[in-house]
Amino acid sequence: MSPSDEQEIPYEQAREELVEVVQKLEAGGLTLEESLALWERGEKLATICQTWLDGARERLERVITADDD
Amino acid sequence: MNAVPSLRDATAESPAPVRAVSNALSQWIGQLGAVWVEGQVTQFTRRPGLGTVFLTLRDAVAEVSVQVTCARTLFDSLNPPLVEGASVIVHARPSFYAGNGSLSLAASDIRMVGLGELLARLERRRQLLAAEGLFDPARKRRLPFLPGCVGLVTAPGSAAERDVVEHARRRWPAVRFEMAYAAMQGQRSALEVIEAVERLDRHPDVDVIVVARGGGSVEDLLSFSDEGLIRAVHAVRTPVVSAIGHEPDSPLLDLVADVRASTPTDAAKRVVPDVVEEQRHVVAARDRLRGGVHQLLAREQQLLDSLRSRPVLADPRTLVDERLTEVAALRERTRRSLSHSLDRAADNLDHHRARARALSPLATLQRGYAVLQDDSGQVVASVAGVEAGRAISVRVADGRVLATTTGTESVSDSQETP
Repeated sequence: MSPSDEQEIPYEQAREELVEVVQKLEAGGLTLEESLALWERGEKLATICQTWLDGARERLERVITADDD
Repeated sequence: MNAVPSLRDATAESPAPVRAVSNALSQWIGQLGAVWVEGQVTQFTRRPGLGTVFLTLRDAVAEVSVQVTCARTLFDSLNPPLVEGASVIVHARPSFYAGNGSLSLAASDIRMVGLGELLARLERRRQLLAAEGLFDPARKRRLPFLPGCVGLVTAPGSAAERDVVEHARRRWPAVRFEMAYAAMQGQRSALEVIEAVERLDRHPDVDVIVVARGGGSVEDLLSFSDEGLIRAVHAVRTPVVSAIGHEPDSPLLDLVADVRASTPTDAAKRVVPDVVEEQRHVVAARDRLRGGVHQLLAREQQLLDSLRSRPVLADPRTLVDERLTEVAALRERTRRSLSHSLDRAADNLDHHRARARALSPLATLQRGYAVLQDDSGQVVASVAGVEAGRAISVRVADGRVLATTTGTESVSDSQETP
């Protein structure tokens, strides 16, 4: 998956996958290589989620600010 | 009459009985002829099984009323039926009822006139049109929430026009009106109102039609009960609001209209929403909407934060640290076990060295003994084979003595050797 495709993951899907990643990491029993790969994936998913939330908040603020003017 | 003394002769000492007076009254009143009298029926009593109907006929102006009786057949034959409040002309003759001394007018003919007839006719028309289903509540159309354009049928420059327009503008300043002026009273009124309503109905922008007029007498409002107008209003597709001034006897237009407003001002309230109130609703709705989104975002952010704060994500070094600890522990164990085996090997070595030392002839040599060895390194334990001139080496405690044999001798008992 290319980075641009990653941005297209819907918020809910990213969040769900993030929960899975955390659960797998917490359960343990993985090789070091696997856990590092999972951690990197988790970081990326968290960033995607944050981007969605920031975007939503920004859109909301923009409308409210425009309305207050 | 013989038993009754003449009333003229009656004195305090010889009074006339009641029956004599009643009879005389009855006779005298009975001689009065029939008369046409006009008045208003304030109430009537029609009891089933009773052949006579009692009516109270009141003067149009003064507080004067008289009892009227009429045959039930006459009363029932009246068309339209008599209603209370109706003005009537009665042909009646005064009649004295001796039974209770009451005076009444016995009617032989009753005719309704003026308002009475008018009301009765309107009532009859109402019943017929209602039977046709023109006033059916199920046929009423809902008014648009916000009409694109309000069609107003009224008299030009009338108070009704001003009331509707002003109040509607106050509530919704952007309201548009399409005026259709018509005579709101008189002969041509019904026709002009019909034309106005139909013209507005054809107008593509008009979403609601208001027919407005201030209050007036029943006669003034007659055109708003016109059958043609009622049918026309019933036929149009645009919702119609009747706003004919508040009156106890409402014109039939009120019944056929989709909405009946009590006054032109009331009509304005019904056709346009209050902009301030709507604004409030919109603001409240938007606040709730934004609040909802805010809440959703906050909840998701909290979830994301909690996921990110888990040690596996917040401090991924733990993933490596665990393994580092493991490796360190293993290294420690390998080192410890190696040093242990080295120690053991050293112990072993010392032991063997001690043993080797214990077995060594050195101690014996130090006591003065010596070991002979020939030139090939063989230990010489016997004189045999050691001839004179032979080179031998004598190993003593701290070195060797190199010697040449000069001779040998045997000793018989080896036991004596020290």
